[in-house]
Order: sequence, then C-alpha cells, then structure tokens
Amino acid sequence: MDLLSMRESYLHDRIMLCFNGPISRSLIEEIGKALRNYLDTQQAAPSAAMDVFAVYIEMTQNIRHYARRQGYDDELAAATVAVARSDQGHYQVSAGNLVEQADGERLVAAVEALSLLDKPALKQAYKQQLRRPRDAETPSGAGLGLIDMARKSSRPLHASLQPLSNQRSFFSLTATI
Amino acid sequence: MTTMISDLDIPGSQSAPAIQSDWQAGRLAMQGDSYPENSYELFDQVIHWVRLFLANEQRPLHLELALVYLNTSSVKAMMDIFDLLEEAFETGREVSVTWQYDVRNERIAELADEFREDCSYPFAITPIAGES
Repeated sequence: MDLLSMRESYLHDRIMLCFNGPISRSLIEEIGKALRNYLDTQQAAPSAAMDVFAVYIEMTQNIRHYARRQGYDDELAAATVAVARSDQGHYQVSAGNLVEQADGERLVAAVEALSLLDKPALKQAYKQQLRRPRDAETPSGAGLGLIDMARKSSRPLHASLQPLSNQRSFFSLTATI
Repeated sequence: MTTMISDLDIPGSQSAPAIQSDWQAGRLAMQGDSYPENSYELFDQVIHWVRLFLANEQRPLHLELALVYLNTSSVKAMMDIFDLLEEAFETGREVSVTWQYDVRNERIAELADEFREDCSYPFAITPIAGES
C-alpha cells in the first residue's frame, strides 16, 4: 500500500480528517470528538467549528439511518467521510455512501431543490419539515438533516451520483461552511 | 389525590444530555450535548414525564436548559416538549423556560431563539460567561 501517495493526496486536497469503512455509532462520536479537538487547536471560530461538527453529525447519521433501513451489511454500509479546508479558508465536509439508484436520484433532486432557496426560504422549509409527523418521513429520509446542512453552509450543497453495479450508486454530498 | 411518578435522573454521555426532573419543585433540567441517533429513545421518557406532570398537577412547570448542541433528531424531540408547554400555557397554566448558553456559542442561542418564536410563554435565553 502506498501510504506516502495517500498522504500526499490528502495534503494536496487539504484534508484535515478522513475515514473510510463501516461506521458505527461510537465511531461517529469518536471521530466527532477528534474533529472538535482539531478545530479547537486550529482556532476555528466557535460558530464555524459548531457548524462543521453539526454537518458532520447529520451526514454520518443519515448514512447510518439509511443503511439500517435498507438492511445493508457492514460492507454495503461503509461510509467515506472527509473534512477539508478549502483554499479560500472555508471548511468542506463531504460524505459518500452506497445507495439504491432511485433513492440516489431522489436525494440529488432534493439537494438541487434546496440550492434554489435563500436563507429565509430555507428557514421556512426547516420549520415546515420539523412540524411534519414523525412517521411521515420522505422515502429517502434525510429531510430535516439536509435542510439543516444547507442552512449552515455558505454555498449551496453539492450532490453527485455515480452509478455502480446492481442498481446501486455512490452518492456523495459536500457542504461548504 | 396526588399522583407522583418517579423522577428522572439520567446521567449524560458524550452524545446525550444529563436530565433531571423534580416533580415536587415542578422543575425539569437538561445539560450538555444531544446528538443520539434516535433521540426519541431518550426523549420519550422526558415527554412522558412532562405530559404526566401537566395532566396531574396544577402547579407551575419550569424548564432549565443548558444544552450545547442538538442534532436535528433532538431538535424534533425538543419541539414536542415545547409544544406541550404551549398547549398548557394556552389553557392558563404557568410554564416557563430558561436556556443558559456559553456566550461564545452563538449557534445554540440562534437555535433557542427559533424555538422561542413558536412559544408565547416566558422563554429566557441567557448568556453566561464561558470558562476559558
């Protein structure tokens, strides 16, 4: 395994922290703790650090919820998570996972719809979603979490879908704080 | 006849707040971070306690919050609790919320303020000087 080239590519992409593999509840907490500590040592503004942490939590918990609903095994439930610093000093939080093609298409459409909303419209959408009954979640779930991430981002969320085999695709989402 | 249920005294963890209730004093308190994967596993018992208190007592109920961060699942559960207080307030009950936050954590103050927008009872959002 060429660790040096991995390291160089992380440095090149300004990746502060990344993870690839099956993600458990305790891993989410531990990586989250490391992320908070790291942001603290970087003297990130408290509100930016809070937003990065919040987006990281929503993304990883969405992946866990989805994998559980689908009954995916550990291999299918693997998540790829990266937190990076952009060259303009923004933080970028990205996460990707396997999804059923149709769910992925719904998610991309939902992200694109949110990108058309300004902050007041996002707030309104958030409050509407919050008031929907617990069991009336959208088929792909993730409704409130996506809106929350969009509200905490300084740019529209970016989603992409890469088709793989067996009607599955790799869904990836990036939030820029 | 008075009904009394056992009080809650739940220790906090990395992802769950500490929760204490005091039926006699009419007080419910929560501190810390709240981002469990399924917030209702934790908050259902809190919602149940609030429901019982409001149904069985006529005394005031006060919430003392020092929550630091909430994931969206916890936000949903907290909204259910604030809605119960709102319903009680509209029937003339005395209810109130105090939410203390570290002055450096403006995000939680913004979240508290969004909750407050939907409440007509006394809801204080109080900055406290953070330890550094």
